[in-house]
Amino acid sequence: MRFMVMVKATQDSEAGAPPTQELLEAMMAYNEELVKAGIMKGGDGLQPSSKGARVQFDGAKRAVVDGPFAETKELVAGYWLWECASLDEAIAWVKRCPNPMPGPSEIEIRPLFALADFGEIVTPETSAQWDRLKAEVGGQD
Amino acid sequence: MRVMVLVKASKDSEAGIMPSEDLLTRMGSYNEELVKAGIMLAGDGLHPSAKGIRMRFSGSERAITDGPFAETKELLCGFWIWQVKSFYEAVEWLKRAPFDDGAEIELRRIFEMEDFGEALTPELREQEERIQAAAAKLAG
Repeated sequence: MRFMVMVKATQDSEAGAPPTQELLEAMMAYNEELVKAGIMKGGDGLQPSSKGARVQFDGAKRAVVDGPFAETKELVAGYWLWECASLDEAIAWVKRCPNPMPGPSEIEIRPLFALADFGEIVTPETSAQWDRLKAEVGGQD
Repeated sequence: MRVMVLVKASKDSEAGIMPSEDLLTRMGSYNEELVKAGIMLAGDGLHPSAKGIRMRFSGSERAITDGPFAETKELLCGFWIWQVKSFYEAVEWLKRAPFDDGAEIELRRIFEMEDFGEALTPELREQEERIQAAAAKLAG
């Protein structure tokens, strides 16, 4: 099973406070464990929402709203993509994660869809298209 | 530069209502365009938050809360990672995405190694390169 593991933003991350070297080292060691265990397929940190934007869709209209966005604790500050045997395994790995923030923080784990989850709406054409995309991009199953 | 495109949840996505065949087809074509343009590095859909969990870190405590989570429109239901020349290019690509009325999609810049400044020592940089290469290999 594949999972997205999201680190939620805090006031510190939204303020653009850089991680300490100690945290960088701890996180790097953790990431190295994850790749050695064959768990981590990707992962990145996101810049504060002040450097981002949102696009709103309404008919043919597209409105662009610049960050920052208000609901700090619902924003994402970083993510990983993991391959785990089960949600329990993902939880066990998250428990070992160094606290990604200087104060209290939250990490969310969400399973990813596989093509098979879409069932009958997947036509042979869509399936073939998916295979082509998978070959180009990787990571999808 | 790389950006993350965050697709927010809706009542339908949280209820586990699958996209229509029409939307799936249009999204497939859009993804194919992204791949042909060398933009799309990754992309996936997330199961409803009912199948996820949250873990709260406080000191040495780790508290787990099972989904679903209440604030539907702030939850994620899908994402892409894009490689673009500029943030503007990402906005222009996003405008062409086949989303329905009312959708709000978020674009965020991804930290690159040079953004970390001096905290990223040469040793850490080397380690990060090793990790990313190994992760890319695992991603296939």
